[in-house]
Parts: sequence; C-alpha cells; structure tokens
Amino acid sequence: MKKVLIIGGGGGGLITANHLDTNEYDVTVVDKSDLHFYQPWFLYIAFKGSKRKISRPIGSLVKPGVHFVQDEINTINLDERKVYGSKKGIYNYDYLVIATGTTPDPDSIPGLRQTYDEYGDYHTSVWNSAKLWSHISKFKGGTIAIGQASATCKCPPSLLEGAFLLEEHLRKVGLREKSKIVFFTPFPRAYSAEPMNHVVEPFVKERGIEVMPFFDVDTVDGANKTINSLEGDSLKYDLPIIVPPCKGPKIKIIPETVQDEDRFIKADKKYMKIVGYDDAFAVGDCNTLPTSKTGVTAHLEAMAVSEIIQGRYGEFDGRINCPFDTAYGKATFVIADYNNPVAPYPPTKVKHFMKMTMARIYWMTLMGTADPIFEQFFNYTRPEKLNKKYVISEQS
Amino acid sequence: MEGVKIIDSRGAACPGPITDLARAYRNSKVGDVFELWATDKGVRADTQAWATKTGNEITEVKEDPEKIVIRIKINKR
Repeated sequence: MKKVLIIGGGGGGLITANHLDTNEYDVTVVDKSDLHFYQPWFLYIAFKGSKRKISRPIGSLVKPGVHFVQDEINTINLDERKVYGSKKGIYNYDYLVIATGTTPDPDSIPGLRQTYDEYGDYHTSVWNSAKLWSHISKFKGGTIAIGQASATCKCPPSLLEGAFLLEEHLRKVGLREKSKIVFFTPFPRAYSAEPMNHVVEPFVKERGIEVMPFFDVDTVDGANKTINSLEGDSLKYDLPIIVPPCKGPKIKIIPETVQDEDRFIKADKKYMKIVGYDDAFAVGDCNTLPTSKTGVTAHLEAMAVSEIIQGRYGEFDGRINCPFDTAYGKATFVIADYNNPVAPYPPTKVKHFMKMTMARIYWMTLMGTADPIFEQFFNYTRPEKLNKKYVISEQS
Repeated sequence: MEGVKIIDSRGAACPGPITDLARAYRNSKVGDVFELWATDKGVRADTQAWATKTGNEITEVKEDPEKIVIRIKINKR
C-alpha cells in the first residue's frame, strides 16, 4: 500500500486526506496542534466579540482509516523521501503533501512585535482576536489605524472586512463621531483588485473610512504611536490594528531551493507539484501560486492533488471564491480564476446569509460531503459568466 | 541580462501583481532591476502609480500575446 504523508491538519491537508481511498492508500496527517480552527470566524471574535466555538479536534475531522499524529515536523528531505518529526521520529512516504499554512512574522518589522503582543490582530489566532476585541470594546474614541503590514497576507477581503465591521461596531455603540478610522494598505486602492474596488469603494466613502494607499509598514513606533511606511508616509494612531506579514512554514526543506526568500514553497500553478518533484505537493497558503491565500484555494488545490495522487486527472484553475462581508448584513464574493479577472459582483443580504451558512457547514466541507453543493455553486458563479452579467460602465 | 529579478505574476487576479512587486521591493536594494510579468490588464496603471509613489523608475513596458512585461529600476529604498 502506498504511503501518503500529509503535513498540516488545516483545510488543505484534511480535504486531501478525506478524498483519498484508504483501501488503496495508507494516509497519515501530521500536525503540531491537535485542533483545527475555522479561521474566517476570527473576524467576528475580533470585531463583534463572538464566543462561538470554532475549533474541533483534528482526529475527529478525518475519515475512518486516515491516521492522525500530533508531531512537529522540523525537516523534510525531498530527495530521500524522509520527514523528521521532533517527537515521533522519522516518517517515510511515497507521496508527500505539505499543507502547513503560513507563519505570522511580526519580528520582521521593527517595533511590530510589541504592538502585536499588546493589541493582537484579526488574522493569526483566536487568542489574538479575543485580545483585539478586549481593546475595541474598551475604546472610547480617537484614531484607529487598521490594515495589513505587508503585501504578503492571507485572505485579501478580510482586511477591509475588518474596517467595515469596526465601523459598524463604532456606530452601534455611539462612538462613530468620536473616532477616525484610517485603513492603510500596500495596494493602490482600498481593495487590491480594481473591479471589486469599484463595488466596495462607495461603502468606504459613505462610511467615512479614510484610505492610505501604497502604505507598506516599515516600522512601528509604539512610544510615539506612529506607523511609518516604506513609501515614506507616517500615520498616528490611538489604537493600532496591524495584521503582521506572513511567511512560509518554519521547516527546513532539503533542497532549500524549493523555498523562496519568505520560505513559501515553489509549486506549479496547476498541479501543485513542488518544483522538480513528482511525488511531493504544496497545497494552500504555504505555496507560491499566483492566487489568494484563502480557504477556497486550499480546498480546490487539495481536491486536484487527491485526484493526481490517485492516478486521475486533476487541475487547479486558479478559482477564488472569497466571501466578503461589507457589514450591515450584506456580503459579496470575490470571484476570479487564472484566465478571468475579478468580477464586480454586488453585495446582497442573500450572499451574507451564504457566508454565515458556510460557517455552519464548514465541517462538512472538510469531509467532502458538501462537494455537490459547491460544484453547483461554482458552476453557477463562474467568473466569465459574472463578468458578462456585471459590467462596469465607462461613465460610472 | 545580469541581475534582473523576474517577478512572474501571470494569472494573478487577486490580490494581483502589485502584491508580488511590493514584496520584491521590501527585499530589494538600490540598483536592483525587476521584470514584472503579468496578465492582469490593470498592471500598467498600477505599476506606474506605484513607481510614482515610491520614486522608482519604469524603464520599459512590452506586451506580447502571453504577457505584459514591465521593467522597473529601484532608485529609492
């Protein structure tokens, strides 16, 4: 029986594992944590104080026949097909899937570590999100600077979702007039992809959120409550909400040439094969694919990889389908693929309901039981169709 | 050409090629030359705005059926 070793019990790892035939393959998932978190809910913990339980044991999320081992991997040798765990020794494999996600790196920006430890954020953990909520719920007015520290970040819509939910919260508690929200971004506009910016920019304006574009954080000066950018701008704050840069996994990989300067794993964009290898794949946020680092891409890449491992044809077409909460009960989806730009898909209440439903059925999607629903939805909302239906007129 | 760093962003729709350019800029030094490859049509205007803002220079823009190629010289970092 061929051995499939999967490093990472997040969405990418679990979906790969649960789509493999355990009668044909000996499948093992290894993760340093025994818990899996539904990360999109971090937003609602940070900005609404949600107490919903969003973790489940990884061992309960794999299908019968898949083994789960809690261990921290420190070295992968792709040439010898050996993986070294810090607790349980050496693992061998016939196929390897690296699906570790990213590692937050607040230490790469001077001054950010202190701010991150004190205020938390809305991207990196339940605890950091709860920490941020404790500051937001005590906030009495002033300037809130909110944004991503660098261009390398997970989930592109979530950054602006945070600003929208923050604005909604401040209005609800009567503090909106006493506060200024400044959204800083390394991109040229509030939302990086122009067609979606066209859709959400009116909300940014009508809600009085100030935008500082081309603002890549260079240093954070906690003593003077100032953030300075690589581009030469400065921003004063009373409350800083800074999502740290993320990097690839802190694992030594042999050969080291398969990792880029930020440790992301170089893989081809259709088949997720690690460059130069036919038996090793990188799935989800840890790879260098030219797409968003988001749950849906991890999901679709994992489905393709499980097909390839089982000798069938599988391909990832770059499809993204990211829910985007525009607050006040509405949401949209950022939809595109490698061949089609982002569609200017307008926010509605129904799409917000769909985003909330996704949070409920998420656990089913890991098992593959929701696949037929997704297939229908993905087909109905193909980016080329949406781009024909929703066209930005020249005058608008 | 010697020392040209290729930034291959072909196919990137969201967050888009500027992500890769900004990332390369963070790890760059004065004198570096980047060649940004993209398929996203907005890349010309965005890169121009980026270069103006950061004080760097676009030295060449080419387009072939497969990609748009923008060469950028880092003058300020």
